[in-house]
Parts: sequence; C-alpha cells; structure tokens
Amino acid sequence: MDSLTISDTQNNNNNANMSGVPVIELRDIHKSYGTLKVIKGVDLAARSGDVIALIGSSGSGKSTLLRCTNLLEIPQQGDILIDGEAVRWKAHHDERQPADAVQVRRIRTNLSMVFQQFNLWGHLTILQNVIEAPVTVLGRDPAEAARFGQSLLEKVGIGDKSDNYPSQLSGGQQQRAAIARALAMEPEAMLFDEPTSALDPELQGEVVQVIKDLAIDGRTMIIVTHDMKMAADVANHVIFLHQGVIEEEGSPDQLFKKPKSTRLRQFLSSTGA
Amino acid sequence: MGGTNRPFHPVLMFEFCADPKAIDGLKWMACYLTTPKHQQFYFSFLIVLALIAGTAPLVMLLGFCGAFMRRSAILPIKWLGHIYTSMVRGVPDIVFFLFVPIAMDQAFEYTRHRILCPEVTEPVYRGNDFVVCTAAKLPLSSSPQWVHETYGFILAMIAFAVVFGAFAANTIDGALRAVPKAQLETARAYGMSERQTFWRIHLPQMWTFALPGLSNLWMVLVKSTPLLFLLGIEDIVYWARELGGTKTSFFEYPHPDWRAWYFLSLLIFYLLLTWVSEKAFAALTRRVSRGMATQGGKDATAGNAAEPEIAGARL
Ligand SMILES: Nc1ncnc2c1ncn2[C@@H]1O[C@H](COP(=O)(O)OP(=O)(O)OP(=O)(O)O)[C@@H](O)[C@H]1O
Ligand SMILES: [Mg+2]
Repeated sequence: MDSLTISDTQNNNNNANMSGVPVIELRDIHKSYGTLKVIKGVDLAARSGDVIALIGSSGSGKSTLLRCTNLLEIPQQGDILIDGEAVRWKAHHDERQPADAVQVRRIRTNLSMVFQQFNLWGHLTILQNVIEAPVTVLGRDPAEAARFGQSLLEKVGIGDKSDNYPSQLSGGQQQRAAIARALAMEPEAMLFDEPTSALDPELQGEVVQVIKDLAIDGRTMIIVTHDMKMAADVANHVIFLHQGVIEEEGSPDQLFKKPKSTRLRQFLSSTGA
Repeated sequence: MGGTNRPFHPVLMFEFCADPKAIDGLKWMACYLTTPKHQQFYFSFLIVLALIAGTAPLVMLLGFCGAFMRRSAILPIKWLGHIYTSMVRGVPDIVFFLFVPIAMDQAFEYTRHRILCPEVTEPVYRGNDFVVCTAAKLPLSSSPQWVHETYGFILAMIAFAVVFGAFAANTIDGALRAVPKAQLETARAYGMSERQTFWRIHLPQMWTFALPGLSNLWMVLVKSTPLLFLLGIEDIVYWARELGGTKTSFFEYPHPDWRAWYFLSLLIFYLLLTWVSEKAFAALTRRVSRGMATQGGKDATAGNAAEPEIAGARL
C-alpha cells in the first residue's frame, strides 16, 4: 500500500553509494574515560550493504566504539568519516569537540541507533515514537510520516500496536518498534547495541528475524552482539574486540570456524559457540 | 474603611431591609446576610480566589526561572538560583510574607524618590522613619482607596509568588533530573537539537515527576491564603472575626458571638476548594502520565482513577 518500502529506500541508498566510499569509516579511534583507556586505536570501514558484527567480552569497548560512531561519545583521537565526509573538530578546554553541531545532527539522522534497552519515548504512542524524529528533525509531513511509519510497523509485525504506549508492549515488540523508529529515518546505516540482550530467549527470535530481513534487504549495519549465532547468520564481516583493540577480524566463516588468536578461541568457547 | 471608591459597590438588596428593627425571622436573616459589610465579606472570598489564580502562574514562572538558573552552566547564575531557592526555603514563610511586601514597597518608593525628587537633600531614613517626598509615594496619597488596596494586594501576590516559586523551582529542578538520561540521549541520537530534545521529550516527561510536588504546593498555597490577614488585607479571616463578634443593641443587627459559624463557613470553603483541587490534580496526573511506566501511568493506561500522591514529602 505504500510505495516507499524498506528495500526501495535501500536501493536509493545503494545508488548514492556506487562510488565505493565507505558509509562509515573510523580511523585510529582512541577513547578514554579519565585515565581509563577504553578504545586504543581502532579502524573500521563499513561499505554500503555491509553487515558488521562487533563481538567481544564484556567491557572490551564495543558499546563505546559504536557510540563514538554517531558521536554520543567523543573520541579524543582519530577520524570519523561518514560518506567520506570527515567530522570537523574544535578544541574545547583540554578536549576536542565536534566543531559543527549541524554536521553532528546530519550524521546522527543518517545513522539510526537501536539500543539494548529499546529507549522508546515513554510519553508517546508507538506510532508517535516512529514519526517523532522524521517530523521534528527531518521536517517530514506528519500525515505522510504516519503512513510510512505504519507500513514500517507492519513490516516488523506490530502494525496493530501503533496506538499503544511502549509500556503496554512486550520487550520483543518494543525492540521491533524501536527498529521501525530507526528505519523511519531512512538512514544510510543502522547501529545496533546488543538488540536482543534485554530479551527473554523466546522473544529474541522475533527480533533476530527482523534484523535478518534487513540484512537481506541490503541494509548497512553495525551490530554489537553477544549472540554468536546471529552474528554468523547475518554478518558478512566480524570484528573481535579485546581490551579496546581489534584482536581479530574477518568473515564469519574464518572467525567462527578457524579462529587464529587464542583470545578469540577462549572467548568463543566461553560463549559456547 | 469607607464604602466608597472600592472596586466593588455594596447595594441594598431588599426594600424591606430599610428598618431592621421592625423585622424578624427569615426576613431579618436575609437582610442581615446582605448588609454592605457582608457583601464585602463575600467579595473577600473572590479576593482569595483571585490571589490563588494570580499567584499560581507567577509561581510557575519563578519556578521555571529558578530551576533553569540552578541548571545553568554559567556559575554565577547557577549560584543565584541556589541562593534563591535555599534562602527562601530556609526561612519561615511568615517572615518572608512580612519582609517581601515591605521591602519591595520601600525599594520602589526609594527609587522613585531619587528620580522624582532630586532636590530633597534630607536622608530618606530619619531616625525611625522612612520618609519619601509626596510625589514618590506609592500609591499617591491622592489615589482612590481601591488603588491602595490593589497595590497592597499585588505586593502580597508577589510575596506569595517569591516564596512558593522557590519550592516550585526545587520541584521542577528535581523533576527535570528525574527524567531518565537514556530518553534524552535517544532524542539526541536521532538528531534532535538541545532545544528540540527539551521541548519534545524532556518537558513532557518532566510533568509526571513534578505533579505530585506541584499539587502538594498548590494545597499549601491554598491553605496559606489566610496569611493575607497578616499583610493588613481585609481577607475572609478579617471579616469572619469582624462580623462574627458579639453585636450589642447599638448595632443595626444585634447578635451574640457567632464567630464559630463564620469560621465554619471558612472551613467549608477551604474544604471545597481543596476537594476540587484534588480532583483536578488527579485528572491532570492521569493525563500527563499516560503511557509512562510509572505507577500513575500504569493505572492511567489501565483506565483506573489513580489517586495522586498528595501526601508526598511535606514542605
Ligand atoms: N561513561 C563512562 N564513564 C566511565 N567509564 C565508562 C563509561 N562508559 C563505559 N566505561 C568503561 O569503558 C569500558 C568499556 O565499556 P563498554 O560499555 O564499551 O563495554 P562493552 O564492550 O559494551 O561491554 P558489554 O558487553 O558489557 O556491554 C568499561 O570498562 C566501562 O566500565
Ligand atoms: Mg555494551
């Protein structure tokens, strides 16, 4: 009923990225909190259609790296390039900060984030959650945004919940609503921070299925996850992060079947994969 | 207190009241309850309602100003906000009610004195007296009685607003802090500016946390209105005492000590007022906490009439 389906938008994105410039590129990222060095020089490039799984033990810096990508955290060193456009910096006291707030907002609207705890806005209904940012940030027509939003909710299988409040939904339904909210921005790439970790095992499947569909549609995604099966199923590139550095990376086949480093072998055996 | 030049003009309600000595029973009561002084008594109820209605928006205004000052990144403004809230909250209300109107009155008159009468060389403070030139008086001595009363009323309103604004600032500041950080971070992650985040997410979610405190404050405000009496305003307490006291046969309508009845009417008035307020706040709480994952929100979405937590922390 709506011409603007997920795969259509994705094709548009693909066309815009035929040049082969990575959608997301991180170069030599360093991030510390006070004296605690959390990320110690990470490079990463996600081209259009890439699905990158970030794995690693708790505290290895996966969330921090993901949050640096959309500038929720400010790395002290390194470059962030979105569609080849580098984030501009300015000095602020001893630390650096993004120089251009408009650029930051543009980057964020292009990289929709899905959070572990869903973070749906509690005072808004599901449909209002989905259209909030498209209308206020992108200036979309509310009626048009609502039609598109409804089609996205149907796509993730909760079209009947659009007038409910988040607190009335199950965890799995809330996370699917959060994914619809991310899709409503028609982003160039999506960032997932452990999208299934807050869910009971029987609810994880429905969210994993939605993410699989997105991967088939050719969405560019970076997914932080503890779910090795999902990583193996949806990712075309897996990065194993250990204490703030990339210990090993490669295709899922390489990493999961023939891990080279002992740390990755230990990690995989501890997760039972 | 002359009955002329007031904002309100008493009228003779019934013709048969011309000679009170000649009537009795219901007629006497009807005449008694509509004397000019009783009409002023009834009018003073309106003054109380006007005080509440006029003060509440000022309280919210000062509350938001105080809360924003306390949250300011600029240190002197932040300190000023903290000084305002902790000073007012740390001093007995009555002291402030007495201090603010007098201090403001003298500050206004002093400023006008300096501007309007530069030729006067004697100091304003002479011994125990505060003397300003005639032109600087507020209101001017030539102004009609109602201007004097309105001026006094406005000073009282500001005093109430200053005191309750500090409590409101505390409540609003706390409510703004109570909104989960993740909700705001998500707004920013979706490209909202600080301004959009505040208006679209922070402020709407803040009310759930602010309403219990604000409804509490409203109740205390309603119940503090008899303090008007302290400021020399002829409020309902003044009239209840005045009218209820024993009237000897020198008066037109002699009667024994009826103060208990008059104060009973005040009691019923306040009970009605607070009862209506509770209903209104319950409805408001249900409205703002719709969908919010708080107890109020759960009840509201389930369609139950949730009682607001009026009996929260005492001020
Ligand atoms: N805001 C912060 N302030 C100080 N330290 C922080 C902050 N955020 C994260 N850290 C620290 O940085 C390190 C990496 O945290 P991060 O959340 O990135 O780990 P993670 O790999 O996502 O772990 P998990 O799998 O448990 O989510 C941890 O040691 C954590 O304590
Ligand atoms: Mg994490």
